[in-house]
Amino acid sequence: MRTKAFFAVIAAAVAGIALWRVVPVYAHHAFGAEFDPNRPVLLKGPVVRVEWINPHTWIHVEVTKDGAKQVWMVEGGTPNSLLRRGLKRDTIKYGDVVIVDGYQAKDRSNRANGRDVTLADGRKFFMGSSGTGAPYDKPGAEQRK
Amino acid sequence: MSIRFTIPAALLLAAIQSGAQTRTPDLSGTYDIATLTPLTRPARYGDRLELSPEEAKALEQQEAAVMAATSRASDPDRKAPPVGGDGSQGAAGNVGGYNTVWIDRGSGAFLIDGKYRTSIMTSPKNGQMPALTPEGRKQAAARGRMNRANTGVAWWVKEGVEPGPYDDPELRPLAERCLLGFGSTAGPPMLPVLYNNLKRIVQTKDTVMILNEMVHDVRIIRLNSKHDPPEIRRWMGDSIGHWEGNTLVVDTTNFNDTPGLANATRNLHVVERFTRIDAKTLRYQFTVEDPTVWVSSWSGEMLWPATDQRIYEYACHEGNYSFGGILRGARILEGDLTGKK
Repeated sequence: MRTKAFFAVIAAAVAGIALWRVVPVYAHHAFGAEFDPNRPVLLKGPVVRVEWINPHTWIHVEVTKDGAKQVWMVEGGTPNSLLRRGLKRDTIKYGDVVIVDGYQAKDRSNRANGRDVTLADGRKFFMGSSGTGAPYDKPGAEQRK
Repeated sequence: MSIRFTIPAALLLAAIQSGAQTRTPDLSGTYDIATLTPLTRPARYGDRLELSPEEAKALEQQEAAVMAATSRASDPDRKAPPVGGDGSQGAAGNVGGYNTVWIDRGSGAFLIDGKYRTSIMTSPKNGQMPALTPEGRKQAAARGRMNRANTGVAWWVKEGVEPGPYDDPELRPLAERCLLGFGSTAGPPMLPVLYNNLKRIVQTKDTVMILNEMVHDVRIIRLNSKHDPPEIRRWMGDSIGHWEGNTLVVDTTNFNDTPGLANATRNLHVVERFTRIDAKTLRYQFTVEDPTVWVSSWSGEMLWPATDQRIYEYACHEGNYSFGGILRGARILEGDLTGKK
């Protein structure tokens, strides 16, 4: 099978925004092939590890469920884009609490896509930083801890 | 001719050749080809190639508004997304992707000869792909039959489709397997994609190299050479080039069965033209033909603006956890139906 057809428009992948492009915009792999629409998750807990790797970054989040701790891996995008925005691996502070909504992997491991990753107060992860050159970073904006 | 005249003539010839070499344009540099100008033209523009400055401005503002909107804080008390999927289309496959902070697809349309463009494609004049041949339609239909909505169910087992789309790693897309970048980013033709749109050109007297950031695909273009024999096939084809005035013309054939360009076959033939138009900009033009799948050729052009940004490593196999996860996930979904674990 020629499976390039699986790479289709990812516009709706990006927080449901309507992109102007009408040509297919592609991704490294189809998230639809990896994650299960019947297994939505909401994860909340501290970041305990970041794998700053290609093709996709993975953020490890420690979640406490029924008194037991589990580490979930959350899939993001390429770190190269963030490097060019002035963000680095150590921009992320281990221990920062994040909220992630996404869908669990079809292999039912503790992995999910980072459909929306925010700090505990709702600010977008990475964008909540100040003085890093992050997008929409305003001079004098409140510093993260 | 006496030797008295031969030596000065030879020196003069050498001087002319040396001068000619120094006049060869230098394409070297790092370029960021991200653009909001799409490959094919939005239907509302019809045959119109140019975008007015007002329309270009509106496009930039719209993109900036989208980025601002998607950067705003979310509800910290939000719930998990809906069971059954969030309705995302295409590769986002009903589960969504990730935040826009990861995406870098440019902030505006490009200007060529002082005019904005509605599309990269210039031919056919409607800016749309040519019609598919009967064979092209057949191949597209075969792909379409495998391209289903993500329901979290092993539909291929229910329908008895063999081989199923996840039965063999080699049935998976090239980008998913880290063999080539997606969306013809390395090409040819080299097209803008969602992120990592940087290219680096290194030029010597007899070779031009183009490093593509995504999957660090490298094209080696031999100048004034001949194509390899037809039995030698490559992922990005066999590229040879020559100078026509100030333009580097690159001819690429000898693709293997699955070029990076969507729908193309091993019969793909691409001619590219690189022209330096100022100290910081290249003009990139291309013509594509593949008589197996398209009834006619198609062409496009765009700019390659130089950038001070660096190209970073993209070691795709380094952390391609997704690939194993996709195959394992398929086995689990199959087990849900067959009862075999």
